[in-house]
Amino acid sequence: MTSVAAWIESTSLSQFIINRSWTWPTLESLHFLGLCVLIGAVLIMDLRLIGFQREIPLRAVHKLMPFALLGFTVNLLTGVMFVFGEPQLYLDNPAFRIKMSLIVLAGLNFVLYYYKVDPLLTRLGPDSPPPPLAKGVGAASLLFWFGVLAYGRLLPYFG
Amino acid sequence: MGTLISIEQSAFAEWVRVSAVGYPLMITSHAIGMGVMVGLTLAFCVRLLGWSQEISYSALNRFWGIAWAGFGLNFVSGTALFTTQATSYVESVPFLLKLALIFVGVVTAALLQAAVTRDADGWGSSAPAGIRALALVSIASWTCAVVSGRLIAYY
Repeated sequence: MTSVAAWIESTSLSQFIINRSWTWPTLESLHFLGLCVLIGAVLIMDLRLIGFQREIPLRAVHKLMPFALLGFTVNLLTGVMFVFGEPQLYLDNPAFRIKMSLIVLAGLNFVLYYYKVDPLLTRLGPDSPPPPLAKGVGAASLLFWFGVLAYGRLLPYFG
Repeated sequence: MGTLISIEQSAFAEWVRVSAVGYPLMITSHAIGMGVMVGLTLAFCVRLLGWSQEISYSALNRFWGIAWAGFGLNFVSGTALFTTQATSYVESVPFLLKLALIFVGVVTAALLQAAVTRDADGWGSSAPAGIRALALVSIASWTCAVVSGRLIAYY
């Protein structure tokens, strides 16, 4: 990982981020706001999937998906810049690795939702109790995303 | 100042400051509570501004219990974090600004929740202008509260 870190540190993006006092607090502020937008949307969508507030149509809940994607995109971009700014802190950090693994798991869980659960729910129609698979996928999504949040915040204490 | 010094020197503050668990636990709880309270409030305000009108006001209103639980978690973890450096926090401009913004955020959120509970049946698909303005104020104050909270470490 040292050579990767050395290469990152040699890039002009890395130099740009390190050499200015405003970049880090700006990136952190955006990362925290992105987190709020993502978690808020995910929380409503997943709780609905588990069966909370079943009178909300699933299609309506889906309208929150752009917010989840917006929050995720902001955090992906700012997150990449954190790694460019201080590669040594992240690349060998166990909390960072757990966080990245949880993001991958959340992504795979979303694929499962998209291809298996969503068609199932469309056939079921509104107000019917969610099948176990839907509840499982919803609960797993909450677990993964809150895990991402927790390990992200714990990252400096593992460095 | 004497009270603040004794808070800072208390056994609890010492535990949060130096134990392996104290500070990471409080700071992580604070981030989780923030995601829940601010995230749900933003979603709620965006709905009031006209997004995703298929979600009924009353259905969304029931997520407030979860949002306030997030706020409670942040009140507790925030108080614990405050004890660790009470004397410097009260002189920190971003910290004082953050408290003021949270106050505005809490008041606007409570007002919106009360208005939705009381009046939303008569609103139709889009909320009245006053409510939408209040939603914008709430979005702005929570957004700025998050940013000023982040800046405490820098100024």
